[in-house]
Parts: sequence; C-alpha cells; structure tokens
Amino acid sequence: MGLVIVILAARWLGQVGSSPLQHGGREHMRKLNRKGVLVVVTVLGLIAAACGGTSGPPDACTSDPFGCVEVGAGEPIKIGSLLVITTADASLGLDSQYGVELALDYWGATDFDGANGQIKGHDVALQAEDDGCSAEGGTAGAQKLAADEDIVGVVGTSCSSAALGVADTILGDKGIVLVSPSNTGPALTDPAKHKPFYLRTAHNDKLQGATVAHFAYNELGVKSAATIHDGSPYAEGLANVFAEVFTSLGGTVTAQEAIQRGDTDFNPVLTSIAATGPEFLYYPIFVAEGGLITQQARGTAGLEAIALQGSDGLFTPDWIDAAGAENAEGVYISGPDLSAFTGDVDFYNNVFIPAYTAKYGPPGSVFHAHAWDATNMLLTAIDQVAIEQGDSLFIPRTALKDAMFATSGFVGITGTLDCNDDGDCQQAVTIAVHQVKNGEFGDPIYSEASTLGG
Amino acid sequence: MIERFNDRNVVTGIIQLGLILLIITIGGFAYRASGRPKDGTAPPEPVMAGAVAGAASGAMVALFVIVVTLLAEAGYVARDMFESVTPALLDILTFQQNPWVGSAIMIVMAAGVGGLAGYAHRLPAEGRKLTFLGLGTLLIVGLAAPIVDVMVKGLGLPSGWLFRREGLTVAGALLVLVVTVALRWYLDRQGGFRRAAAKLPGITDSNIKKVGLTAAAVVVLALPWLVNSFISEVLGTVGLYILLGLGLNIVVGYAGLLDLGYVAFYAVGAYVTAVTTSLVGYLVTDDPLRPAQNGWTSFWLALPITVVIAFLIGVLIGAPVLRLRGDYLAIVTLGFGEIIRTLVLSDWLKPYFGGPQGVTDVPAPPPASFEFRQPQRLYYLILAFALLALFVSSRLKDSRIGRAWAAMREDEDIAEGMGVSVIKYKTLAFAIGAAVGCLGGAFFAAKLSVANPGSFTLLVSINVLAVVVLGGMGSIPGVVVGSLVLVGLPELLREFGEYRLHIYGAILVLIMLYRPAGLIPDKRRARELAEAKELKETSGVAAS
Amino acid sequence: MTAAPTPMVRGLSTRLARLPIRRISLIALGIAIIYGVVAGTTATLRTGKFDTHDWVNFLVQGIARGSVYALIALGYTLVYGILLMINFAHGEVFMAGSFTAFFVASALAGHGFLDRQPIISFVILLLVSVATSVTVALLLERLAYRPLRGAPRLVPLITAIGASLFLQYTFRGLYGEQAQAYPEIDAFQGTVQIAGFPVTKEQLIVIVGALILWLALYLFIERTRTGRAMRAVGEDRQIAALMGIDVDRTIRITFAVGGALAGAAGILYVLLFNQVNFTMGFIPGLKAFTAAVLGGIGSITGAALGGLILGVLEAVGPTLFLTGTGIPSAFQLTPIVSFGILVLVLIFLPGGLLGAPEEKRA
Repeated sequence: MGLVIVILAARWLGQVGSSPLQHGGREHMRKLNRKGVLVVVTVLGLIAAACGGTSGPPDACTSDPFGCVEVGAGEPIKIGSLLVITTADASLGLDSQYGVELALDYWGATDFDGANGQIKGHDVALQAEDDGCSAEGGTAGAQKLAADEDIVGVVGTSCSSAALGVADTILGDKGIVLVSPSNTGPALTDPAKHKPFYLRTAHNDKLQGATVAHFAYNELGVKSAATIHDGSPYAEGLANVFAEVFTSLGGTVTAQEAIQRGDTDFNPVLTSIAATGPEFLYYPIFVAEGGLITQQARGTAGLEAIALQGSDGLFTPDWIDAAGAENAEGVYISGPDLSAFTGDVDFYNNVFIPAYTAKYGPPGSVFHAHAWDATNMLLTAIDQVAIEQGDSLFIPRTALKDAMFATSGFVGITGTLDCNDDGDCQQAVTIAVHQVKNGEFGDPIYSEASTLGG
Repeated sequence: MIERFNDRNVVTGIIQLGLILLIITIGGFAYRASGRPKDGTAPPEPVMAGAVAGAASGAMVALFVIVVTLLAEAGYVARDMFESVTPALLDILTFQQNPWVGSAIMIVMAAGVGGLAGYAHRLPAEGRKLTFLGLGTLLIVGLAAPIVDVMVKGLGLPSGWLFRREGLTVAGALLVLVVTVALRWYLDRQGGFRRAAAKLPGITDSNIKKVGLTAAAVVVLALPWLVNSFISEVLGTVGLYILLGLGLNIVVGYAGLLDLGYVAFYAVGAYVTAVTTSLVGYLVTDDPLRPAQNGWTSFWLALPITVVIAFLIGVLIGAPVLRLRGDYLAIVTLGFGEIIRTLVLSDWLKPYFGGPQGVTDVPAPPPASFEFRQPQRLYYLILAFALLALFVSSRLKDSRIGRAWAAMREDEDIAEGMGVSVIKYKTLAFAIGAAVGCLGGAFFAAKLSVANPGSFTLLVSINVLAVVVLGGMGSIPGVVVGSLVLVGLPELLREFGEYRLHIYGAILVLIMLYRPAGLIPDKRRARELAEAKELKETSGVAAS
Repeated sequence: MTAAPTPMVRGLSTRLARLPIRRISLIALGIAIIYGVVAGTTATLRTGKFDTHDWVNFLVQGIARGSVYALIALGYTLVYGILLMINFAHGEVFMAGSFTAFFVASALAGHGFLDRQPIISFVILLLVSVATSVTVALLLERLAYRPLRGAPRLVPLITAIGASLFLQYTFRGLYGEQAQAYPEIDAFQGTVQIAGFPVTKEQLIVIVGALILWLALYLFIERTRTGRAMRAVGEDRQIAALMGIDVDRTIRITFAVGGALAGAAGILYVLLFNQVNFTMGFIPGLKAFTAAVLGGIGSITGAALGGLILGVLEAVGPTLFLTGTGIPSAFQLTPIVSFGILVLVLIFLPGGLLGAPEEKRA
C-alpha cells in the first residue's frame, strides 16, 4: 500500500511541476519538484520504518485464522464490557458491570483488595462501553471495541437487541469472543442465527416464556391472555414463546401487540387490547415503556381487573419508581431465581454479596452473578491458551474461542456451566415469579426449574 | 460525572480537568467584569476589579458548599434532588479540606485567579493574545494527550517524557507552552503565516497554495498509518460526515433551502444498500433465520441503484414541497425524515426492513481480499468518495447552475424574472443533495454491516446541518473543518459518556455567538451577508 | 447545438412544457391522500372492532393531549411572530418546569399535603413550574438569542438546537437520568359522565385549564397595551421602536409569556402521563412546533387549533384510518398520519390553516 502512495504522490508532484506558472519559471518548479519528492519519500520511509514489525510471533499465531493479540511487556491484557450503563435501563447494565469488576478484582489474589488480578504476569484491565440496550447502541459500542486491536474478549451485551446481528457479528468478524451475562433472547443461540464467537451464561428464554405460561395457566388459572412486545429480540422472543406454550396448554391468546421503544402514549394499544377482553397481560419489555404501560393500564377502561406480568427487563427498583409504587402493586415479575443458584451458593451469599453491597450498594438487577461467571470463564480460558514469549504474551483468538466453547463442568455461582455448540452455557435454570408488594419484589411466589432440550 | 471529569489530568498530578474548568469559569467571568465598560465610563483598575470579581464568584461557590453541608447536617440530603451533588463534588470544591477551611481557600484562590485575569487587561494586546494562545493550546494538548501519545508512539518516538498517565508531564507542558508562544511570536514578526512560509527555500508566493495542498494531501493520505485503528475509525466517521455535509451544503449553502430532514436520504441509501446486498434481505431469502450465500447484488452494483433511487425520491419530494416558505419547508422536511424512520422501524414493513433490529449481515464491499471493513481501508474508500463529492461541489459552484443558485439566494423574484426557473433549480439542488446523502448512507451500511433505524434519528440531520452552518454555509473547506470539530471531537470525548452531547450543545451555541458566519466563511456568502446588513441598516427593512 | 427541431416536434414539446405538471401532480397527491384516508376509515368502521364508546374515548384522549400541545405551540408561535425565529429549545423550557415541580410534588405527597389540600397543592405546583419555565426562557433569550437578533435565519436555529441539547443534559446532570413518576392526586382520580360518556377528571382539568389559559392569552394580546406592543413589534420592529415601544422589553415579555404557558402545560401534561424525565421535552416540543405550523405560524388561534387537531389526529387517526387495512400495529405509524395531514394542508394552504398566505418567499 505504501508503495502505491509513493508512486501516486510522485506522479502528482510531477504534474505540479509540469504546469506552467506565471512567475518563477521552470527552474523554480523543478527545484520544488525534486525537493517535494525527497520530502515525501523521507516521510514515507519513516512511516514504513515505524510500521515495521518486531520479532516474529509464535506459530500458533500465524496459523490462527484471526491471529493473536500481542500483549507487550508491562502492558495489560484488555478485556471489554458492552453493557447498558446509561439510559433508563442503566441499573441492568451497571449491575452486570459491577459483577465483572468484582471478578477482575478477585481473580488471582482471591480477595477483594481493589486491585485487578494478573494472568501470567500481566494485569487485566477493563474497558467499559455502553450498549444502550438497542441495536444502534450495540453497533456503536461494538465498533469501538472491534477497532481496538488489543481487546481480547468482551463481556456483553446486556440486551439481546444490542447483540443479535449486531455486536455478535461485528465482534465475531474480528475474532473477538463475546460472552453475555444477560442476553436471553432465543434467537441468539438458534442454530441458524448463532454467530461462532458468541456465548452466554444467562438462561435461554425458551425456558422463561414457558414458565410464565405455566404460571398464568396453572397457578393463576387465567384462560385468556394478551402480550405486548417492543420489537426487540428479547421481548418478542418471550412473547412468542409464552403465546405458543399458553395456547398448547389450552388457553387463548386474544391479542399480540407491538409498541416501539421511546413511545410514551400507550392508550391506543391498551384500549385495543381491552376490546379483546383478556384476563392476563404479559409485557416483557424494559423500564421506560414498562413503567408507562403499568401506569396507563391502570387507567384504561376494561383493564381494571386484569393481571399484569413483566419479566427481567422490569426486575429492578427503577421500574417501580418509574411506574409509581401504587401502580406497580400486585404486578407479577419473572426472572432467574436468585435463591436457587446451583453453583457455589455459600460463596455467593457470604462473600460476593457483602463485597458487592459494600462497594456499590444493594444490587439493582439480577445478572451480576452471571456476569461474574462469564468473566471468570473468560479469564480461565485466557490463562489456558496464552503463550509466553519473552516478556510478551500472545493470545490466539480462535484457540481462545475454542477453549470457551469447551467449557464443561465449570462451577460458577449460578450453576455448573456447560457450553453447547450454539453458545448456551446455562442449560438448566430455575425461573421464579415475584409479586410486587409495598414497593418491593419480595420472595418468589412461584418457582420452576427446567432444562434446555428437556 | 464530576468524578469522571476530574479524573482527567491536564498536567499529571498537578492540574485536573475539574479544577481547570473552575478556573476558566472564574477567570473568564473576572476578565469580562474587569474590562472596559460598554457605556464609556472610566474603566476600573483592572487587577483590583478582577480580584473582586473572582472573590465574588469564589464566595458563591463557597456559599453553595456551606449551604449543602449545613442542610446535610440538618437531615436534608441535597443528593435526593440534585444527583450530582455527591460527596466527591464537595471534596473537589473544598480541596479535600473541611468545608470552612476549603471555602476560605476557594475564595482566596478565586480572588487570585480573578486578579490575574484582570491583569491580562494590562498586558499589551500582543502579549495577551500570546498568553491565551499558549494556555489554550496547553489545555487542548493536555486533553488530547491520549491521542497525541498514540501518534507519537506510532512514529516510533519515545513519549514517556512527554506524557504520563493521560496527561502531560511538567516538562511536556512547558515544552508545549514555549513552542506555541515562540512559534506564534515568530510568525507574527514575519507578518503572518503566508509570508513566513514564503521565506522557505523553493517556495514563492504563487505556489504556496499548491505546496500547502500537497503537504496536506500527504498528511491526509498517510494518516491511518500514523494513528491506531480506533482513530482511523473516527476519521472514517468524520469522512462520512464530510460527504454528508457536502451534500447538505448544496441544499442549504448553495440553494438556500432549509432542510431539517437530510437523514431521510442517508437512511434511504443505507437501507437500499443493505436490502440489496444483505445475506438475509427479503430479496434473497424468505426466512431471516436462513441466510443466503450471497446478497442479491454486490455493493458496487448496488451503489448506482441507490443513487438513482435517492435522486428520484429527491425529485418526487422536492416538487410539491419546495415552493413552501423557509420555515414551513423546515418542518415538512423534518417530517419526511421522521416518516422514513417510522417506516423502517414499523412492524408493518418488518419483513422488508427488519423492524427495530434492522437489516443485518450486510457484507463488506468486495473484493473480500481487500478487507474494506478494516478501519484503515475504509478510510481510504470514504476519502475517495468525499474527494469526488468535493470536486463535484466546487465545479457546481462555479457553473451556470451555481450562479443560478446564487441568484436565487439573493432575490427569488428577480431571479425568476431573469429567466431562472426557481423551482427547477431548487429541485435540482435537493435531488443532488439526496444523491450525495445516499452515498453516505451506503458506506455507513457497509461500514457497520447492519442498517438499523436507531441510527437515523433527527439528531443526525441536526448534526449535518450544524456541520454545514458551523463550517460556513456554502464553504467547502468549512464543511471539512466543521466535520472535524463537530464529529471528531465528540467521538474522542466518548469517555465522558452522555455529557458529550452537553458539550456539543455548548459548542454549537458558543460558535454561533462568536462566529455566526461560520468557521471558514465562504467569500461570496460573506459578501452577501455584509450587503444584506448594510441594506437593512440604511433602509430600515426588518430582518428576514 | 444540434439542428433546430422540426415544427411538429417543437409544437408538441412546447405544449408539454405548458402543461402545469406540478399542479397536476400536487393535486393528484392530495387526492391520493384523501382517498387513502376515506378508504381506510370505511374499512375500519366496517370491521366494527371498536364501538362508539371507544371512539369517544379516543376523541377525548386526543382533545386532552391536543390541549397540551396547543399550550406549548402558543409559545412557539408567539416567539416566531415577534422574532421570526424557531425556538427549538422551547421543549426544554416545558421540561424544566415540569421536572422541577416534581420534587415539590414528592415533598408535598410525602407530608400528605397533596391529598389533604389538592387544590392548593395544584396551584403551588403550577406556580413552581411556571416560575422555573419563565426563568429558563428568559435566560435563553438573554444569553443565546439576543446577541443574534440580526443574523440570517439559520444561525439562531442552530443556536436554539445547541441550547436545547445543552439544557437537556444540564437537567440530566441536575436531576439524574431516571424517569420519575409523579405522585397522583387522589381528588383528581375518577371519571365524570358528560353526555353519557365517561371522561376522567384529569382529562377534564387539562381541557378546561388549557381553554382558560388560551382565552387569557387571547384577551391579553388583543386588549392590553403590552399585547398591542407585541403585535406591533411583530409587524415591524423598526417602526414600533420609532413609536416609542421598548422593543427589548416587549421581546422579553413575549418569551416570559411563552415560558409561562409552557410551564402550565408541563403540569397539565403530567396529569395525563404521570412521568417525567430529562428527555420529555423534545418530542412534545417537536409536535407542538408541527401544530403551530399546521395552524399557521404566527397566529394564536391557529396554534391552538393546530394543537387540538394534531392531538385528535394522533389519538384517533391511526386507529381510524389504518386498522381496517390490516396493517399490524397501526399506531406505530402515527408520525406518518400526522405529517401526512400536515403536508396535505400545506399543499393547499401554504400558510397553514389560519396563517397568511405567503407574502414573501424564503
């Protein structure tokens, strides 16, 4: 490429020299011509020298289709996080980010001393980015991380909309492994859609949607239901799975509506749903719209006696604030059962949570444990495949990905992680349903354990 | 937020950004307050006045701290209402001392800063300019330290003595100050940059422009090699906005149309390219879960298709709408931007446009071996087309069409009377702008590999408009500079998270207040403006 | 140049050029839109999905929202009438009042005052909101707009946009980014029956309140001296100054009045939607601007009318025009309905519904 530029530049300069001018004459121009070429060649030579490579990388790197990340002497190993840390859903992403930060702190020295651990003598550093809980945010954040050649792996995204077709592709095209603590949309690990460098430690919503349907039909005894989703893979996935299972149990789905994120007036859609007369309304969406729908549903004629249900997108005190405690009273919310983790529960309750609360206050969401597990998976895999050469470290990208997918019997907090080929590492999960009472979620009123493919 | 600001070091270990902001605010206020009063009364003694003004502002800050502390002791936590009033903020404002001591220090320090600012009035004009220039450059280089650091490292030069941990070292700061001031002083002595450059061997007055351009060209071409891939990516975005800005420049700058919906064409370009080249587009597969082997067509073939479609849409939209008065045109074009966005976001058109997730799996422009999606390569691609647009723009300006537009801008009725079909030329401008905008959209889709509706909000239209206006309406170098300032800066400021929009808004207001004609005003427009102003003053016609 | 075309061809092409193609296509566009609307409406009504009750419900919702838009639109139109400037930051003026009053509301609710003395609480909230909005509006005028009085139109526009962004994020920095729910006033809950149809008390308060405010503004502009001064400055600033009117003061008053209306609109909005956050001003501001243009920018009655029409269109439009066509989630297409009707109106009435026909083109 540099050669091309030199040639082009020289030719252009040649043209400059040959055009007639008023003063100075040809002599002057020829001088400039020669000087110019000299200057250009020198500059370019310097640049070429600067770009010259150092000593050769190990063989594993040249044979790896995506090459290696080179971590020089004294430089940190950079991992990224791509979580929703701004906007109304910030509590979800920050909660996961704190889980990542704690995991980095604990690694190595196995205590929370405020200093990140090390892998093979190199510090591990975190670059935190925002996924905005949207495709657009996921694109921007993933682009930023992908453009950085030093990023080894990324923990993220928070929202399935930021991952599907977006972050999983942008990062995957660069060979950067992406492991999500809270993506639950079924499409992400669907064999036809799954991207090779993507995994997750969160559950697959095929399980959650079914649990909610069982709860509604069996526990609450409702026979007709309506759903609202916001077009995101997460919400749509849940609404569809719910509708499928609910219908197969014998219930009727009277309406399936879609709103858009950022909308504020839901009276038309709620009135529309009321006209179909359901007993149960499932709206597995996020805080901003979920809060408004909760408020407005309470005021819609025909929906006064309806049972309202949301899912983990609303499983945060921020939603109760947004909706108003009076409106949120009695609403059902589903999410992973924090009291039913099958991993190192003792550690979770007695070490992790106290450390978390001391540093960040009470948890704002439920996926911090999954983030912890995801980070530890990543760090373990890096430790496994990193090649030392002198003071530098070489981490082959594809080998790292393979190590992650080969994770089996990995005991984390949330359970024993076992990754299948499609990226689902949490095969068995317990989903709980809570009911909001006095502005709090309280303990689960219903809990169901299920397994993927079972 | 305040903590994040303060983490930024301008000079490591000594001056943090938070402190600097405080000093600049107090200093600026004191400077204005101790200047010559407008109504012609005798000017006060500047140092004293400055010190008083400084002390007053310091006292206000101190008062704030004291009030908050007292309220907290009485049980009213200010943080419940004002989220930013964190203990960390109070710490910064009291220099980590207890509130009373800290406040006292604040007042004294503010008085000192104010006095210095007042003293600046005492300096000869030249000295004052040099001081501000030196300090300003120091601030900018200090803030841009991470980037400059990377560039210096990229050249293979050692940078540890210059920068450390995101800020300048003391030695570095001194170097920057000395170099800036010395350079400016030398140039002023020589009578300006041009004359000084003219003294270099081999350069005469006549070819200085060419040499300058050549040097600039070399730098621009070599840029991706000098900086890391992240900055190349930012430069790619800047290039994209230059392309868009040039397009909007034709609509707004040349033809004088108020267009607030330019994002519509950007979206059209991106979506048409995405739909025709994507592996999961509805043209090649029925099931989005089953991607096809190839898109319907390749990127390079899709490009002319996109341009033609956009041109047609521009003509179709333009015809009914362009005879509306300026502000009505604004809202209607804004409406079109929103309509396009609503359409691609809707459930109704989801099978075609993918709804909120958009159209994914857009392949990079072939040939795949060129790896066009790598930031460096993409930069060259965008650069090539931006240069093309630049060339077309400048040719248009001096062509018959350009003169027709200029006539329209001055007075539509007279232009119509002279035989210039106003509506025809307006539509032409609109359609050409549409075509350029869609080119930008096409590259955007290829760059991101996905086209989703969230990328096409009103804010994008506003950004492009701001780039054009800020740079100077109708001015091509203005668009380049505007794009660098308005697009490059926020990207680099990303670490400040959402506050970059805050800063962006402030920059917009400030630049419009101090340079309403734009950063690099177009000569012809500037003349028009001056004439219009004259006309207004002499005949008393209300401003339009 | 090629050889001159034959007389026959020339005659044909001249005749073609003489055809008012633009006229025809515009009228065709207008007819297409009207046809679409009528066809959609009949299809919807035929499905019988909604009964009269539902339609009235939608209508009332629309009037209530429209009233809020109208109040904000009045602010836009006042400033435009006097300065020929689009005050893009007006939405943030609206947000400022509403958001600030939220904290007062929470405090009042916390002490139970809100429920014990609902009327007084409401008045307090109104005053706080209006005061904040007026302050912000005056600051805007002084700092961002006054220095640019003579500049060409685009410059204050960019300044206004910049100010809008700046204000949004300033308030974000002040009050945080979380959406907050307003405490509900118990006395305002419940419905009343009007002509046999239920209307919520909150909607009633909003509609009546907006009407009163509009009337007050109308009287102010028409009957008082200051109002006359505002009209005079709007017509010709130079001559008004010559007649002894303090132009600066009049402009300040205009901004203040516009701000006050926006502040009131903020409280009324909250009665309907109950939620505030720092971005809440942007979209209503945009809609209000659309409403002002629809009604004819510069005309007070026009702004009010435009606001009401827009509100009703948004509430009733998509459901009425589009449900019958089988388009899924028709209400997602609300902006298309609103802007479509706007374009329709502007095609046939270039000055808006009540605006003066274009006397001077841009």
